[in-house]
Amino acid sequence: MSRRQDEYMRGTPMKPYDLIREGVLALAAVAVVVVVLAIIFGSPFAPTVRGEDVAKNHPLDFLKSATDFLSGDSGLQAYGPPYTKDTDNLMKVWGFAPATVLGVTMPIDAQKDLIIAPLNRVALLNKDVAAALTAWKAASDDKQKAWTKAYSDALDKAEEDSGGIKVAAGDYGPVPVMMYGMLALAQAGLLEGALTNSEQLPYFLENTKAMLFFVESTDTDVAGTLDMQGQQWGITHEVGNLPGPWWLWPYAIWYQLPKLKDDSNADAIVGTIMVVFFLLLLFAPFIPVLKHLPKWIPIYRIIWRDWYEQKESRGR
Amino acid sequence: MSMTEKLQEYVKDTMTLDDILPTKLPVYVNSVAYLFGVLLLSTLVMLVLSGLILAIFGPRWYHVNATGRFFHSVHFWSGQLFFLFLVLHLAVKYFMGAFRDGRWKTWMIGVVTLGASIFTAFTGYLAAANWSAQWHAVEAKDAMNAMGVGAFFFPTNYTQVLTLHVALFPALVVLLVVVHVLLIRHEGPVHPYPAKEEKTK
Repeated sequence: MSRRQDEYMRGTPMKPYDLIREGVLALAAVAVVVVVLAIIFGSPFAPTVRGEDVAKNHPLDFLKSATDFLSGDSGLQAYGPPYTKDTDNLMKVWGFAPATVLGVTMPIDAQKDLIIAPLNRVALLNKDVAAALTAWKAASDDKQKAWTKAYSDALDKAEEDSGGIKVAAGDYGPVPVMMYGMLALAQAGLLEGALTNSEQLPYFLENTKAMLFFVESTDTDVAGTLDMQGQQWGITHEVGNLPGPWWLWPYAIWYQLPKLKDDSNADAIVGTIMVVFFLLLLFAPFIPVLKHLPKWIPIYRIIWRDWYEQKESRGR
Repeated sequence: MSMTEKLQEYVKDTMTLDDILPTKLPVYVNSVAYLFGVLLLSTLVMLVLSGLILAIFGPRWYHVNATGRFFHSVHFWSGQLFFLFLVLHLAVKYFMGAFRDGRWKTWMIGVVTLGASIFTAFTGYLAAANWSAQWHAVEAKDAMNAMGVGAFFFPTNYTQVLTLHVALFPALVVLLVVVHVLLIRHEGPVHPYPAKEEKTK
């Protein structure tokens, strides 16, 4: 034993101990339990939400999302850093928005990157889409806005049935042809590929644009049916009856509080609370109340009950 | 005194073979509470071993093949037990006041390991390439972006997420655990709170 431990343990009765035996037994026990759990319960797996699935099963939702991106009305276009320069939706704590420190590091122009760029590819294969794109690009901003607004309003009243989507007639310009071009692209299973455009292809696994496409629509709906939205303890849930990352309960619980639930700064506030909690835990040995709390709560009397009983019997 | 002799003295002062591989322990080390640490280490071993197997054979295997799915499940349940024992270990060590008598370094490295473990698990969920990964990525991005972390950590970037999960963070966790365990062996188990002090309160 080192001099330091020798000094610390002086006068303390010792007992024989086999570290290796304890380690081997613990590893064997854990291995058995893990294997049994893996065999009985397996692990969670639910397929991803793909553009193809949305376009085939919920074409109206797809058209609405695509039209929102084209018109500039999507939440993504007003999101702020790291995607856009907008500041209206910045989350703040005590008036400070941490997202502004590094600003826009992944610029995304939703209209251009999520709609026009993929349609430029479709236009190479489809003359109608090519003509519609040319008409769109030649039109004024006001005209483009009028078309997308009229089409978006019409989609809100549209009906979906087995025969397709019934949209009332109106002056939508080239927008319907463009949107159906996007729908056809997604139904062919090519949306994600068209959105993943990089000079690093085929070694490019940056899927942000494809993953942001359905955040405000289908993804949120699917998460709602699985109790996985933020107000439903979101991130701590898993599909099926399997446990999720339950260790994030101390984080997720804040989103269930009525005052924070609908707060537009909720993420920044909860993030700050967690940083404070972590620092309290980290510096617990130096924080007056926290460092004495274990002495005041006699759980240690249970853990060391044999020791205290021995001392008492020796004292008698 | 030569440098070698100085090193010898340092080792004798701080860490001998008896400390690293002890054959005796204080009698007060006699509770289930002391088992959570070694159980936690065992689940870490299971996580690393199953993770290595998953990395070697790749996602085509562990998502499709029955044997691959089994090892994926072993990794999943090892993670669940890892956090169960981590929470129990943290709780009992706190209520034992295990940070007393100069053991604050061991405590603080343990808490940092907790943080690193949570982030390792988070990137694991993001790397799973399934619905949960997809939803967690787009949901968690808001929290990351709100705190400014989203400017350099992108939950939707599979390359970044996978690299962090299989390389950087596991290595960091293992390194922190090694230092944590060496410190524990160096310092020995903390004494129980004095019984008399409890009675006099």
